[in-house]
Amino acid sequence: MSSWHVEDRDLRRWLAHNTALATSVSIEQHLVSCDGCIDRVGALARQDSALDAEMEHGWERVRDAVELHRPSWLERGLTTVGLPAHEAQLVAAARAFRGPLLVAVLVVLVFAELAGQFGQARGEFFFLLVAPLLPSAAVAFGYDPDLEPALEQELCTPYSPARLVVLRTIAVLTLAIPVAVLLGLVLPGPISFLWLLPAAGFVAADLALSTWISPLRGVAVITGVWSVTVWVTAYHSSTDAALHGAYPSVYLVLVVVSLAVFARRAGHVRGAYPGRSSR
Amino acid sequence: MSDTVALHAVGRRYGRTWAVRDVEVELSDGVIGLLGPNGAGKTSLLRVLATSLAPTTGRVSIFGWDAEVAEQRTEIRRRLGYLPQELGFPRGFTAFAFVDYVAVLKEWTDRTARHAEVRRVLDLVDLGAISTKRIRALSGGQRRRLALAQALLGQPRLLVLDEPTTGVDPEQRAGLRAVLAEAARTSVIVLSTHQTEDVAALCERVIVLDTGMVRYDGTVHDLVAAASGRVWVGDDPDPRAIASWRIGSGRYRNIADRAPSGAEAVEPTLEDAYLLLRAEAAHPERITT
Repeated sequence: MSSWHVEDRDLRRWLAHNTALATSVSIEQHLVSCDGCIDRVGALARQDSALDAEMEHGWERVRDAVELHRPSWLERGLTTVGLPAHEAQLVAAARAFRGPLLVAVLVVLVFAELAGQFGQARGEFFFLLVAPLLPSAAVAFGYDPDLEPALEQELCTPYSPARLVVLRTIAVLTLAIPVAVLLGLVLPGPISFLWLLPAAGFVAADLALSTWISPLRGVAVITGVWSVTVWVTAYHSSTDAALHGAYPSVYLVLVVVSLAVFARRAGHVRGAYPGRSSR
Repeated sequence: MSDTVALHAVGRRYGRTWAVRDVEVELSDGVIGLLGPNGAGKTSLLRVLATSLAPTTGRVSIFGWDAEVAEQRTEIRRRLGYLPQELGFPRGFTAFAFVDYVAVLKEWTDRTARHAEVRRVLDLVDLGAISTKRIRALSGGQRRRLALAQALLGQPRLLVLDEPTTGVDPEQRAGLRAVLAEAARTSVIVLSTHQTEDVAALCERVIVLDTGMVRYDGTVHDLVAAASGRVWVGDDPDPRAIASWRIGSGRYRNIADRAPSGAEAVEPTLEDAYLLLRAEAAHPERITT
């Protein structure tokens, strides 16, 4: 170890970022191996409150750089559209936003779309059977209690479970809408956009059902009812009969009624306080 | 604002089975230990206290707020730290990210203050140095300490801890005891455990549950004193003893009403007293006091 040490005057200049590059490098190289000079840096910094605070913040910044996770693309997107960063963090933690699940939903949707475009009547039937259910399934993945490992912990915090559910639903739908629009541009005929009506109804219905049962069970119930509806209407009329006549009105009513039910029973979502009904 | 946590005739039923029945207790500052065999209702009672579960009967009042009223329940949760028996961790999170996530749920909206608090609690449980590690890479004991860290966020007025020291090595357990003893200066801490030495080291008051009912509610000192003169160490096991086991010296520790031949009386521990209490509840006819 060298017997040379940095003069106090030079250390002060270095701390004030007032040294030439070569001198700075020399001082920093020395500080790496000299505990005595490092102690003097601390002592000198403490004499100047502004410098002391800056050093403290410097350490905070270093810790932040090491410890904080990098916001995901979804978090960055959500903060860009105005959601506070801390809430974006809560929304993005849902399993619905894991890459493999999103890809799986997209693959099924594309497959249904291909069937609808090239599979003639059977393909159209398949598309109608599957596509409207996918948004509600994706939404359910966003807040199903069985998929939330830290659920009990989450429920015992003051953060509103209903708010979390609504935010995640909006996030899923925000991702789904561009895909739906693209599908509408590609698919021929009125089915290209009409399928969005039952899809919207099912998302809302699942929100309402999730105040009694888990969202994934809700989707199972909806799937059963929808399958029967599509089969029966196709059997008695045309393939896409479930999108015509009085049906679109039914889906709109379903949206309104379901959202009203959800708003009234939001305190029960995710089993927030299972047992006696909350007053 | 009241300083106490009160359970009035609280019961919780699953189907036809009552997990908790007619629990009537009032808790104030300090550490209260909850002991009982598996299935005694400890976890259900703690979940009721943590507002994770609604009681089927009775009323829960925490610092004057009624847990049944949604707005008041939120006030309770603002003052609550809860460590469930089995805490799941979101996939892919680091230790820091997980505690930060819970801190957001606990309304720490200011980023700088939140991160400082996350670091504080991670340091408290001695995980500060590995805060960037993925949770899946942590050991069982480290995960338990991480779970405790999130419960300590914001120095809550009520800490509900379900087996906080399970899987934690003795050295770390001693450290956690020190953390809890410090927290008890300003908080009500209710902890369930199978480790009677944790209760003896930390708690002034102990509640023993059995088949969902409170069998004992009093000081640790009184519970231990009740076993005085009924614990013996001898060369042979006593067939009439409530419990008898071989100890490290090769002799036998017997919990019995009368001295086995050649055995000498020893100071009872909390474990002795607990076993005695359990035996009295199960076979009252065998006990002569």
